[in-house]
Amino acid sequence: MVFRVLIFGSLARELSCASIAVDVPDNASVRDVNEALAARYPHKSTFFRGARLAVNHAFQPTGVPLRAGDEIAVVELVGGG
Amino acid sequence: MSVTIRIIDGALGDPASVLLPSVQFGAAIVFDGVVRSDEGGRTIRALNYEVYEPMASNMLTELGREMLAKHGLVSIMVEHSRGEVPVGQRSFRLTVHALHRAEALAAVGEFIDRMKREVPIWKTALDANPPGSA
Repeated sequence: MVFRVLIFGSLARELSCASIAVDVPDNASVRDVNEALAARYPHKSTFFRGARLAVNHAFQPTGVPLRAGDEIAVVELVGGG
Repeated sequence: MSVTIRIIDGALGDPASVLLPSVQFGAAIVFDGVVRSDEGGRTIRALNYEVYEPMASNMLTELGREMLAKHGLVSIMVEHSRGEVPVGQRSFRLTVHALHRAEALAAVGEFIDRMKREVPIWKTALDANPPGSA
């Protein structure tokens, strides 16, 4: 399955994009997306391995399986207000 | 008890009167967040806010409900800007009604701290004099 993982804020500016495409196995979990992002950007592997990912607008345990069409977003470095 | 969340494009307007006729509350606090001209030592012209919806509104609602229960508030209203807000303009407003002053003040501080740590809203400083503009 291919997901376009949404990114925001300084991360989006640093990587010059608003989303990152990752290809993971059909039975992939949230953790697999973390690993795929880390492999895609080795210089930020520590960050992506520990990044909080929202699935369909809610945080999920890293072992939760994904389904095609899920909306995934990196929700880190929050600082509004 | 109520929680109201509003995400507004651009700067917020002037606050509405908080002195609603009610015998329920003895404290009404309106906190306005205003964009400063200095951001980390840089002179800026504006802040740009990215709001990940509906997750941001969902989390603000949940946080508001938590504050209502924890501090015994009567109501809480959150207004947050999305997009560009110039220096000197309001980008955030928290309106809290409570029975007493102490719980209202505590709720305002805790809500803002938690919002900044937890709610998916990102701000970007827009320089007053970006490189290459001279």
